[in-house]
Amino acid sequence: MAGSRSERSPMRGSRLLVVLVAAVSALVIAGCSSDGYPGDLNGMTRQPQTEVGNVLLPNENAKSSNATGSLKGDGDGLMLVYFGFTNCPDVCPTTLADLRLALEDIDPEQRDRIQVGMVTVDPQRDNAEVLNGYLGFFFPEEQFSSFITNDKAKLAEVEKIFGASHRIGKKQPDGGYDVDHSALLYAVDSDGVVEVEWPFGTTAEDMRSDIEQLLDRRADQSSS
Amino acid sequence: MNLKKPALILTAIVCCGALLAACGSDDSANEGVAVSDPWTRITAPTATTGAVYMDLESADGDRLVSASVPSGVAGKVEVHETVTNGESMDSGEMGDAMEGDAMEGGMEGDAMMGMREMKDGLELPAGEEVSLEPGSYHVMLLELQAPIAEGDTIPVTLMFEKAGEVQVDAEARDAES
Repeated sequence: MAGSRSERSPMRGSRLLVVLVAAVSALVIAGCSSDGYPGDLNGMTRQPQTEVGNVLLPNENAKSSNATGSLKGDGDGLMLVYFGFTNCPDVCPTTLADLRLALEDIDPEQRDRIQVGMVTVDPQRDNAEVLNGYLGFFFPEEQFSSFITNDKAKLAEVEKIFGASHRIGKKQPDGGYDVDHSALLYAVDSDGVVEVEWPFGTTAEDMRSDIEQLLDRRADQSSS
Repeated sequence: MNLKKPALILTAIVCCGALLAACGSDDSANEGVAVSDPWTRITAPTATTGAVYMDLESADGDRLVSASVPSGVAGKVEVHETVTNGESMDSGEMGDAMEGDAMEGGMEGDAMMGMREMKDGLELPAGEEVSLEPGSYHVMLLELQAPIAEGDTIPVTLMFEKAGEVQVDAEARDAES
């Protein structure tokens, strides 16, 4: 997103504004924390932090390293959790493609500590085959979890814990329907704490830098 | 009433002539709306939808009414806008909302993104570049017949209110560049 392109286009400008406001707010909030780390995460951080604890969902990817279906990082790693659906043409593939780019640029040792979990908000259309095929396009098979539940109350409960939401639109004559959804990507550590949230439009570079910083922190903590 | 009839016919002839002239030559159409960097994102094998992006600019102002692709590519094509909480990203209120409500409430999960079909088309104000880009306007491909792969080129026919039909080739790639 070069500066000249932002000036040229009002749309890019507004998208940039969203990211800027988010980043500045995150800085302001993170700057108040007293953990001794500079507040230079690009995404949003919350005080108090969201705790997703030991929440579990069925993971329909049999090849995933996450056998228990937890929505948090493993050991000293992170799970990057997204709520979306595969019929989403614009928002979801943009975020997932940016995340893929971010992960490609990360040192392999660090990359191994990252898992990606997608919770479908459209289980009616996203069965295991569809969601596995979708995520397999972006990430290695063992790295992602395909969270699918047809239990609406369970999905709502998990969404509420994360602060996520969705709304299924009216059925159209051809049987299709729209889905609105909150489009944040959450980085959850192995304590089940959401360390940072990236709003739609966060660049791959900003995600990569945040992921590296969070993993470095975690390594420092476990070695001290 | 009788007096008015010839005038009406004359008007009709002039209008038809103008319409014909408008679609007569591709050159005039291309002068009407400049299309730059048309691209489409490569899609997952199980995805049934895709999106085409580009920059549009019309010197005199125009409107993108509809778009189409060969039926072998997608069963249906619509002009869409991605909206947040039902509001367009480019509306002035959105900018204000982002500074206040959105950071406190909106971004905490109830900021929902969704899509709306632009049934009246996409307005192109005179001399202003309008970007179809991720998170904003896009040409949505529904009922994809096959995944879109890197290196594919998708012929897209754009229909403008004044400039008429314009053909572009959207290059398939991974991300915005």
